[in-house]
Amino acid sequence: MRVLIFTWEYPPKRLGNVSDHVSTLAHELVKRKNEVEVIVLDDLRPGFEDVYGVHVHRVANPVKTHPMASVLTYAMTASVQMEAEASNIVYFYKQHQKSINLIHAHEWLTISPAISLKHTFNIPFVLTLHSIEGHRSHNRFGPLSIAIKEIEDTGIWESNKVIANTDWLKNEILRYYGDGHRKKIDVVWPVGKGWVDEVYSVYQRVAQENLQAQ
Amino acid sequence: MRVLHLSWEFPPRIIGGLASHLFDLSRALTRRGVEIHVVTCNFPGAKEYELVEGVNVHRFEAYAAGDSFLGWALRMQKNMERKGCDLINIIKGVDVIHAHDWLSGVAGIGLKHLYKKPLITTMHSTEYGRRNGIHNDLQACIHEIESWLCYESWRIITCSYYMRDHVSWCFRVPENKVCVVPNGVDVTKFNFDFNYWEIRNRFAHASEKILLFVGRLVPEKGLDVLIKALPIILSKGVNAKIVVVGEGPQRDEYQRLANDHGLGNKILFTGHIDDWTLRALYRVADVAIVPSRFEPFGIVALEAMAAHCPLVASSIGGLDEIVDHEGTGLKVPPNNPEALAWGILRIIRDVGFKDWIVNNAYQKCLWNYNWDKIAEWTTGVYEAILHEYNTGSWKPV
Repeated sequence: MRVLIFTWEYPPKRLGNVSDHVSTLAHELVKRKNEVEVIVLDDLRPGFEDVYGVHVHRVANPVKTHPMASVLTYAMTASVQMEAEASNIVYFYKQHQKSINLIHAHEWLTISPAISLKHTFNIPFVLTLHSIEGHRSHNRFGPLSIAIKEIEDTGIWESNKVIANTDWLKNEILRYYGDGHRKKIDVVWPVGKGWVDEVYSVYQRVAQENLQAQ
Repeated sequence: MRVLHLSWEFPPRIIGGLASHLFDLSRALTRRGVEIHVVTCNFPGAKEYELVEGVNVHRFEAYAAGDSFLGWALRMQKNMERKGCDLINIIKGVDVIHAHDWLSGVAGIGLKHLYKKPLITTMHSTEYGRRNGIHNDLQACIHEIESWLCYESWRIITCSYYMRDHVSWCFRVPENKVCVVPNGVDVTKFNFDFNYWEIRNRFAHASEKILLFVGRLVPEKGLDVLIKALPIILSKGVNAKIVVVGEGPQRDEYQRLANDHGLGNKILFTGHIDDWTLRALYRVADVAIVPSRFEPFGIVALEAMAAHCPLVASSIGGLDEIVDHEGTGLKVPPNNPEALAWGILRIIRDVGFKDWIVNNAYQKCLWNYNWDKIAEWTTGVYEAILHEYNTGSWKPV
């Protein structure tokens, strides 16, 4: 299977736990004979690197100044650069008569490019939410927080499958974004051995469903 | 040829001059046989899809929460981009993507890469020019987005040579990447029968000469220069009144400035008025004045010229190219009330001269600022790009 992973951090960029989570996932998937393309936001070291089989594409946001250090304008502008890199990869594989089977986005920052790719190339898209805005924000009803919630909501609607890390988080997502998504959310506890196999089985199911839908 | 236009405004959603520009341009392109699809923000009462005189208009849900205007503008463009993706998949591809300003440029960059099709951008204005420099982070962010957009565009269209130089300097763009295609004006809109005195009496006393100012009330439009010129005109024994059409944040300040000069009854702020009344007002006005300090193009000047209204304009920006001094109007240095008063008095006092410049100006509208010619030039730009694209290596597969 050929998977395109969108993330906002990947080693050596490390701000939270998503970085290690995604790199473990990518390396384990490569061990299982999958092709993994990782697209990560990294303003300090843009470029391509082949890390033991994982193809890491680091992209920088061309827009450096953001009023009041707004993470929203940062995410929206960076999103375009991630799309550009991703579509380059898709077209590269097309030239070799291959295609990307699945997009896996992590956190709200990468929801926008994933949706655009899904719309353009009809590639199914899995979204992992490690946390949600309602828990992170210190100003839950501020305009920024509402905007991020809207993006998370759109991501849950547009994705083919949502992965939550714990049952608790799944219930919280349902509480915030509506109980109707209950069947869409799978729980994979990313600790210990075997969780990558669980993620992989989610991939297989989603890819299969997408093929049947066509 | 199939062209996808991206714009954040299209009639009935009208915010600035872009809506009417694109409305006229897209219809003129359609008349030349170019298939036009416009993707634009939705508007209460407007249909999601409609065919307007051959132009396919597709509207998307533009509501999006944001932490600021900028946050909204960028999220809105993600929706625009998604609408564009769905549309291109349905109509099975486009040849050229045409964005207008940064408010649709980010969506344009996204679509360019997703479909690997050439992007062309019309830079109607720049943040640097609007603000006379970059002074805070918000402006810097917009400036960087504009810079990025110019970098990503295959070609940039500007409406004047002044703007070509400005864009090329401001964003370090090679000059041969920038094409100049002027804005246009539809002169037929200004030919209609109306009751001269009925319109005129609504704005001024019969003995007063109407000095018409049309524009947003912001510093770069320079209404304060006109207000300062008025006492000079009055002191020469010419009874005149300024009629100001337009709204803006500076309105109270300008009213106060007029009051300070004792001219409170010699200036009339009409606010926004409907298009028909505005065109009639151009025809009853004695002089139209464009005292701008920064003007990428100056559509107001074209409207005055099309309406046979004599024109006094600052010799800056696009106005410098539209107005030929003592040929199609009078040009005066910007920010100079004495010079402006001289220009206005010259036109009011010399009727023969007035008739001569008014006729020249009308002819120039017909020859240079005709939408069919503009569509021809724009199509030429599309064709040049498509030739380069088709013979180049940057393609989807």
